[in-house]
Amino acid sequence: MAVGETEKATYTIPVGPIHPALKEPVQLMLEIEGEKVVNTDVRVGQVHRGIEWIGMNRNNPIQTIYLAERICGICNICHPFSFVMAVEHAAGITPPPRAEYIRTITAEMERIHSHLLWAGVAAHEIGFDTIFYLAWQVREEMMDLIEYVTGNRVTKAMFQIGGVRRDITEEQFPRIRQSLDYYKSLFGKLKKVFLDDITIRMRTKNVGILKKEDALKLLAVGPTARASGVPKDVRQDQPYAAYADLDVKAMTPDMLSGTVVGDVYDRIIVRLLEVKQSIEIIEQCLEKMPPGPILAQPKIAVLLKTLTKAEGEGVGRAEAPRGEVIHYVRLEAGRETLANWKVRAPTYVNLMCVPAILKGGQIADVPIAFASIDPCQSCTNRIVVTDRATSRKSVIDYEELHRLSVEKTEELKR
Amino acid sequence: MSLTAFKRALWVYHLNTGSCNGCDIEILAVLTPRYDVERFGIKLVGSPRHADVLLVTGPVVRQMVAPVNRIYEQTPDPKLVMVVGNCGIEGGVFFESYSLAGPVDQIIPVDVYVPGCPPRPEAIIHGVVMAWVKLEKLAKQEVA
Amino acid sequence: MEKLSPQAIIDSFVTELGDGFFGGSVHEYEVAVKRNKFQSLWIEVRKGALRDAVEHICQLQKYPHLAIISSSDLGAEVELIYHFTIYYGEHLQELSLGLRVKLPKSDLKIPTITDLIPGALFTERETQEMMGIEVVGIPDGRRLFIAEDVPAGVYPWRKDETGPERLLRVLPGRKPKGQDKEG
Repeated sequence: MAVGETEKATYTIPVGPIHPALKEPVQLMLEIEGEKVVNTDVRVGQVHRGIEWIGMNRNNPIQTIYLAERICGICNICHPFSFVMAVEHAAGITPPPRAEYIRTITAEMERIHSHLLWAGVAAHEIGFDTIFYLAWQVREEMMDLIEYVTGNRVTKAMFQIGGVRRDITEEQFPRIRQSLDYYKSLFGKLKKVFLDDITIRMRTKNVGILKKEDALKLLAVGPTARASGVPKDVRQDQPYAAYADLDVKAMTPDMLSGTVVGDVYDRIIVRLLEVKQSIEIIEQCLEKMPPGPILAQPKIAVLLKTLTKAEGEGVGRAEAPRGEVIHYVRLEAGRETLANWKVRAPTYVNLMCVPAILKGGQIADVPIAFASIDPCQSCTNRIVVTDRATSRKSVIDYEELHRLSVEKTEELKR
Repeated sequence: MSLTAFKRALWVYHLNTGSCNGCDIEILAVLTPRYDVERFGIKLVGSPRHADVLLVTGPVVRQMVAPVNRIYEQTPDPKLVMVVGNCGIEGGVFFESYSLAGPVDQIIPVDVYVPGCPPRPEAIIHGVVMAWVKLEKLAKQEVA
Repeated sequence: MEKLSPQAIIDSFVTELGDGFFGGSVHEYEVAVKRNKFQSLWIEVRKGALRDAVEHICQLQKYPHLAIISSSDLGAEVELIYHFTIYYGEHLQELSLGLRVKLPKSDLKIPTITDLIPGALFTERETQEMMGIEVVGIPDGRRLFIAEDVPAGVYPWRKDETGPERLLRVLPGRKPKGQDKEG
């Protein structure tokens, strides 16, 4: 029996699929008592496109790389990354070292753009539209760099089984370093705007707390887990590609503020620290880039034949901006499509933490607390709120919920 | 009410029917200071009841058929529907999947298509301008 | 608790599960310029020993990380793999552990592990609806991803007659799958 359908009083807030930060729609059923949220039921499925079925029945592994890119339009380096690693483990192909470094550089560039995107969205949820525009303007510099290196802003198609498709040559290095210097000069300003502002502190401190115990039991990943003090990071624990040569540490909020609370403010700290870390990683990769080929097997026909004959299974794990991505691939000899493919995106696990995060908070905090896990399903399609005290079911638009959030900021300012 | 009101501003409502968010992010990038379409009077609104143009992304997943129909009915006339991205045009890379209910024009009538996966922000602005021009032509036919 | 080597972990499973243990192997691979070596463990257990195996993993590490449960249709059987990782939190220390369980298609039932690992709920629900397996004792057995208007009994991950072939969209000008040359 679903949580929201008790016969007690219910306040129903269905929220239309509107949100500037759209990602996929999701339905939340909240149970409230007075102004506090007591329980949440998360309903997903509004973006189910049957991707795994397509991979297993229609596509050969090389076509599936491009399908994997379109699982998510924001983190579309990490899905092909872990898919390609899984196929390489299954088929026994080793990519050359230069390709590993190029993969790492593109993955870190994606992390920077994704965190800046999230920063703008979080500011919009609180009501600071100016910061939303500022963050996205700053992000455009990274989009220009991504286009310079890979050829497109979104869906970059850099990956191939056994390597990468495009090289980053020495002539391109000065332009990359120029962008990195721009971001390094901006970091102090970003920190001041996000962490030192009084209103942001009031809206985000002690809001949406996820305790360390819950984060461990509910298998949280990514910045959501790290902000609660759990140092899980695939780049540190089981490094892949060039991370195995570098020393990457999981960023936890006590590195900047000294304590770990697990609220929304801590998640902002973790993401800003990761932007700084990504800039350093790209610089190290540029310095240490090894020479050599970029593909283990440049001829596609030969590669396809190798894959059709290969037999085995492989697991590929990567660290996306939102957490751990894992792909499982099984290949069978003589079969052109994949025998089996399983994808798990990080938000899948983080959504289970949402009831614990929203519990005990106010309705006006729901947008910012929900957006702080950076759901790749952030757009709450409909929120249904159940009030235990009164027995009224009423329908409020998402605009109303957003307005409540912005009003709270205005009140705090006074 | 005459359509010449559109000469001043165009209010747009964005509807995501199950897309990967690539097109959605490019639509939002269109509003940011780099491309800045608000200076032309194009604004993103929070409710379909205020909208002139519906911007639809994504292949229509089965669960989203009812919301799409409902939002189409809630938008007052005169209105235009604009589909952004390959998914809405013919399913994109997901074309044969068991969980799709068909491209957008099988569910609601569409006026402008912007192909691409995802289309660049410049292409989206071009699409909106074409929609505007079409609306003005309709206005002239109505008046004449 | 101290960290065991992969072979020591396999031995501890043999001791703990006895008859329920079916097989285990260690795979090794190298990464990048420095050629750091990584190992991953694959362990197969019988269906009845699954809960004991998961409890044993919880003893090796207090809160093991379960990434996902993947399932494959192998004809007469369905194979589930529980992808665990343990010893996370420190540089280069994490170990991947894949726990395999084979279920005959005549008896597709598996006990739940949500009382040991609450975060396994979503992945058990997904396995239930996509592969047609019944997870005994699951606290919330609703559909997760598939729409309500897809009839019950259609399992997208299966390769037999319960697959979703009849629900596919047919493109204009093409015949439905099975009637044209490619099948």
